[in-house]
Amino acid sequence: MNDPTLIGPCADYEHDLLDLHDGALAPGRVGIVRNHLGHCARCQSWLAEFTVIDARLAGELPRPQLSAGFDARLRERLASLQRAPARGELRVRVERERETLLGALQSAARRRAVLGAIGGAMATLCVLAAARGLLASGSVAVPQGVEGVERLIALGAVGAAIAVATLAWSAARYGVGALGLQR
Amino acid sequence: MDDGIEPLLAAGRHARAFDLVVPAYKDRIFRLAFSILRERAAAEDATQETLVRVWKALPRFDGRAALGTWIYAITRNTCLMELRRRRPTVSFDDPDSTEAQHAAASVASGPAADPERDNLLRLVDTLPRNQQEAVRLFYLEDRSYDAVAEQLGLPLGTVKNLLHRARKRLMELARPDEVKAA
Repeated sequence: MNDPTLIGPCADYEHDLLDLHDGALAPGRVGIVRNHLGHCARCQSWLAEFTVIDARLAGELPRPQLSAGFDARLRERLASLQRAPARGELRVRVERERETLLGALQSAARRRAVLGAIGGAMATLCVLAAARGLLASGSVAVPQGVEGVERLIALGAVGAAIAVATLAWSAARYGVGALGLQR
Repeated sequence: MDDGIEPLLAAGRHARAFDLVVPAYKDRIFRLAFSILRERAAAEDATQETLVRVWKALPRFDGRAALGTWIYAITRNTCLMELRRRRPTVSFDDPDSTEAQHAAASVASGPAADPERDNLLRLVDTLPRNQQEAVRLFYLEDRSYDAVAEQLGLPLGTVKNLLHRARKRLMELARPDEVKAA
């Protein structure tokens, strides 16, 4: 046993006294501790003091409760969280539709541009063929000094100019943006 | 406690399971949050935040830990995040070395005429943080060691030790000066 002049319980019983007070002492120890307590003034005094503190803690520590509107606020918050994904889903669907529409427009514009270019090329070939026929028949006056290779170069230049003009018209008509060069 | 919830979770009926989780756990989540945050409004906010997190994560709950253990871990994390938000410099790795130590020292060696010395709540505030949490929760949970151990995620022996040290310290702090001097 400890020196009786010291404050506090006997060291061997300190934890047991708390467990006894809290009802957590092993059944096999209860009798031993009660027997000690019966004839140890220090432990009796310390346990009495502890009982006072324990009662004060139990009585004076705040015991708050959830407010009455807690469940309603929780439900509201959960509902708002459930709505949020729905809004996101709608936005995704609209964007997907926009992409589809834009793709279809671009595809149609490309098709029209290619058809326009083919048409322009065909027209150029026809013009060149007609010019060649007219030159061969001599019904068209050719400037003096333009003969042989130079004549072919001149005709080629005219044909190329017509082809470039046709392509430019086609691109301007259906829009460069529609060809996917810009959104 | 979890009767009825676990089978619903196993069946993938998470919404129905959550409907049972709220009434079964909200008060204990609140008490745990209050023991950590020490403010009713903050504890209520943390309780709501915890339950929202549980609601989001319930489909991923794999049952490896008990449902209560999992929920209380979420609660503690939510509260620690709140404490970090308030004071980013507080260290939670060593709760005994925080401002609580300084507060305890100042009360223990403070002026003898301190009129609030016997104020028990103030004395509790001077304890190291982990002892404060254990003491508050212990009395909120009607002196249940098991409830405190489960909610704080600590072994039973650790909880007993924390409570023992805390209450012994409170006895010392609450003694009249003449007894201390003796």
